Amino acid sequence: MGVLLENFTTVTFPQVAMWIIGGILIFLAIKKEMEPSLLLPMGFGAILINLPNSGAKHIIDVMFRVGIDNEFGELMPLILFIGIGAMIDFTPLLTNPKLMLFGAAAQFGIFFTLCLASLLGFDIRDAASIGIIGAADGPTAIAVSMELGSKYIGAIMVAAYSYMALVPLVQPPIIKLCTTKKERLIRMDNTAGKAPSKLTKILFPIVVTIIVGLVAPDAVALIGFLMFGNLIRECGVLNSLSETAQKVLANLVTIFLGITIAARMRAEEFLTVDTLLIIALGLFAFIFDTFAGVMLAKIMNIFSKKKINPMIGAAGISAFPMSARVVHKMGLEEDNQNFLLMHSIGVNVSGQIASVIAGGLILTFFR
Amino acid sequence: MKFTPHVLGIFTDIYGSFDAMDLPKALLVAIVGFMTVLLVLAMIALFIRLIAFIFSLIEKKATVEIIPVGDSDKKETAPQKVGVSLPDNESQGELELIGVDEATAAMLMALVSYKTEIPLNRLAFRSIRLVEDE
Repeated sequence: MGVLLENFTTVTFPQVAMWIIGGILIFLAIKKEMEPSLLLPMGFGAILINLPNSGAKHIIDVMFRVGIDNEFGELMPLILFIGIGAMIDFTPLLTNPKLMLFGAAAQFGIFFTLCLASLLGFDIRDAASIGIIGAADGPTAIAVSMELGSKYIGAIMVAAYSYMALVPLVQPPIIKLCTTKKERLIRMDNTAGKAPSKLTKILFPIVVTIIVGLVAPDAVALIGFLMFGNLIRECGVLNSLSETAQKVLANLVTIFLGITIAARMRAEEFLTVDTLLIIALGLFAFIFDTFAGVMLAKIMNIFSKKKINPMIGAAGISAFPMSARVVHKMGLEEDNQNFLLMHSIGVNVSGQIASVIAGGLILTFFR
Repeated sequence: MKFTPHVLGIFTDIYGSFDAMDLPKALLVAIVGFMTVLLVLAMIALFIRLIAFIFSLIEKKATVEIIPVGDSDKKETAPQKVGVSLPDNESQGELELIGVDEATAAMLMALVSYKTEIPLNRLAFRSIRLVEDE
């Protein structure tokens, strides 16, 4: 009886606060359907890990060491990248390669936030890990922050996945603030360009890996696994592997990833002023990603005869495919005959590549 | 020979510390990092353009040797000029329509062309027949 009571009496206020935070994450996942595949396991994991004398602590720690924080690299995020690569169809991008530039522009928030975090007193490695929230790409954020040895991985993950889920709320006001009604009404040519050949689709992942690998060697694991997944998809002879990577593999890793991240959501590590700062900085990263993407489109419009709807620039923030959908929906709200999905998806997949490159570059800079 | 420039380690080499940065250093990191991402993506975009260009050259060469699909009798009497092919979205020849109007037939042909990724000028349709449900 004494043992049972001991558990009740050892519950601390921070632990209860973490249960509430876990509950909120589960609520957002179920009720609001915000990134449920990750927020739900993370929320439940936060409760598991913060029970007094929790028997789950050890196993979750082991999962963390094996899956994320092992000497060979970040196994789970990288395996997840194979699945993500297999899910992505780069055709819209290959049809209109100019869209690549928007993906790059929308990484501005990463570097802006890196500066800001550093100026606020975080050391360079933590600042870089916080900046990578702006990649709007969970696996990249995990891989970079782990590789740089950041102690804030729990807060970074919560911020990254929460904001990814909040893209429909975060982006529209920023887009509206940066554009005029006239700009939002710009219609873009929707006639499909010449479809890329199969050989182009096969060469694309190989060449991207080589180019990125030469510029930022530390990005090879990230981009390589992403592109490997895409090669499986596009080669045409590994359909069953592609299906498995897209569904079974990605789902399996996602289940473990969410609950494993909870290892870094212990009350004593998570409930700090720094966590609040990180969450605020993450928001800055998303805002400035969106801002830069839109602004690049506006600048290009000055020089280009064929006008670009600046809203598509915002889709460069990688949160795939949510951001592309948000832009498409905004286009329809302004003009119900303005279909921007094809362009915004192209920008969105380029953002996926760009975020991985930015992550690799940060590793190359600061590891 | 080492191809990868070591210059990317510039920040840690120059400042030799992982402490927080002051504003000029932070700006330098941000600008160089951002510009590098932009440059790499521009390189990839150029690669895509290059591949597309090479393919269009190969296709042009190939069309020189292809006589457009058409009526075989007409070919004997009035052969097409070598090197002149129909535009990708056009076709010629005779097609038997059975229970199908022209608009529907055109739509079906366009769909087949799109799905097979074979331009219409390279496809020959003999007939399109309406199949009634039992």
